[in-house]
Amino acid sequence: MTDRAELLAALHRAVLEGDEAVAHRLAAEALAGGVEPLEAIEHGLVPGVREAGRLWEEGEFFLPELVLAAQAMRAAMDVLQPALGGARAASPGRVVIGTVEGDIHDIGKTLVATMLAASGFTVSDEGAGVPAARFVARARELDADLVCASALLTTTMPRQRELVAALREAGLRARVMVGGAPVTRSWAEAIGADGFADNALAAVAVARGLVGRGATV
Amino acid sequence: MLLDGGLGSMLIAAGLPAGRAPEWWNLEHPERVASVHRAYVDAGSEIVHANSFGGNPVRLAATGLAGRCGEVNAAAAAIARAACAGRALVAGDVGPTGAMLPPVGSATVAELRAAYREQAAALADAGADLVSIETMSDLREALAALEAALATGLAVIASMTFAVRRRGCFTVMGDPLVPSLAALAAAGAVAVGCNCTVGPEEMAAMAREAAPALAAPLVAQPNAGLPRLTAEGASYAAEPEGFAASMASVVAAGARAVGGCCGTTPEFIGAMRAMLVARGA
Repeated sequence: MTDRAELLAALHRAVLEGDEAVAHRLAAEALAGGVEPLEAIEHGLVPGVREAGRLWEEGEFFLPELVLAAQAMRAAMDVLQPALGGARAASPGRVVIGTVEGDIHDIGKTLVATMLAASGFTVSDEGAGVPAARFVARARELDADLVCASALLTTTMPRQRELVAALREAGLRARVMVGGAPVTRSWAEAIGADGFADNALAAVAVARGLVGRGATV
Repeated sequence: MLLDGGLGSMLIAAGLPAGRAPEWWNLEHPERVASVHRAYVDAGSEIVHANSFGGNPVRLAATGLAGRCGEVNAAAAAIARAACAGRALVAGDVGPTGAMLPPVGSATVAELRAAYREQAAALADAGADLVSIETMSDLREALAALEAALATGLAVIASMTFAVRRRGCFTVMGDPLVPSLAALAAAGAVAVGCNCTVGPEEMAAMAREAAPALAAPLVAQPNAGLPRLTAEGASYAAEPEGFAASMASVVAAGARAVGGCCGTTPEFIGAMRAMLVARGA
């Protein structure tokens, strides 16, 4: 692979096709060939994951394809992230993410966590059924910039409101982003959340905006 | 045939705390569960789902009921049998484990099948008349549940949940409507169908696509529209009469059994019964 443009196109394709091994190999080849890591990310990986997100929106890609694309991007980021120069300096922010108490649904949440990590955020994924107190404790422990809470049942959505209140009471500076199939922008606004996203790709963009430092997606 | 409507939302209306698994009430408030079953039978349901949707061992472990699969499912079936008192059939309800198969998760088919076997056996031993597998998003998981349920010797209905996408109807995992239901029928389900995710209008579109393409009878159990969360709780857009009128299209499209999922109530079943009677069904 001698041509830079070919290499970046191949990275794009590897992410889109969910080929973890190839994405990893190409990322290493890119570095070895003198491609700047940021260029490989922004012109190789990001277009691939953006296209995956578009295909998901259009109903062409489903969860397996999205998960594979995110995993391929993460494999490439495992190579490129350290080369960006100092993990802490490069990380756009520290995130605590989980599905709220009483709710076991976690596919979307895990996808967002993977995408955030692949974009360079330091992510602590607390899993599903996370009580507000655990979100708060972890956010305090990590001095988190952002807390992301997912709820997939209308019956567990109120826990998101509870979480916003708990974080404010604890005096933590972390912003809050909410998501999940029944969650809407008006609900997010009503409960005082700082942000809302209804798909993993948008979540990364919103996270970048909320944290206010340069992220990669 | 006329099935029943939503159970979870009815239990919440009866006081089930938000976030509490409905299966708890088989142990704590069996009389309130029975009351919902009776209301559906009175409204005309010919098949009633026992309160066991989340009763597989994987889900139970996440809802504080680890190790109590036998007890919870036996209670569910017993409550439903007593409430139906021979006026309706009792379907052991089998919902997804929540554990995902690769690449989305790391569960194995063998693990899922084992979980479903444990649940199905408990339901069958407690006298369920049939098994109703519902809300499956992954055909591989649905087939594992089907295999486990058929091992009990009971008849099994298998439903998956599809959304309408540009290219057709698919589950979130990408399983397409007709080939998935055909696979379930070929694997031994006595009837196959769709439940949840969509309201009656979109369900009619699914019925129009699936019914002519399948030899097995089609079962349709849509939601009462889409839920909106308000200060008072979740509310659904559809009203019983409108829902029943839309369900006439689902029946006209070839569905042989109908019911309702999230947000539907005995009123919805009553309205559907009136619609079916008017149609001469």
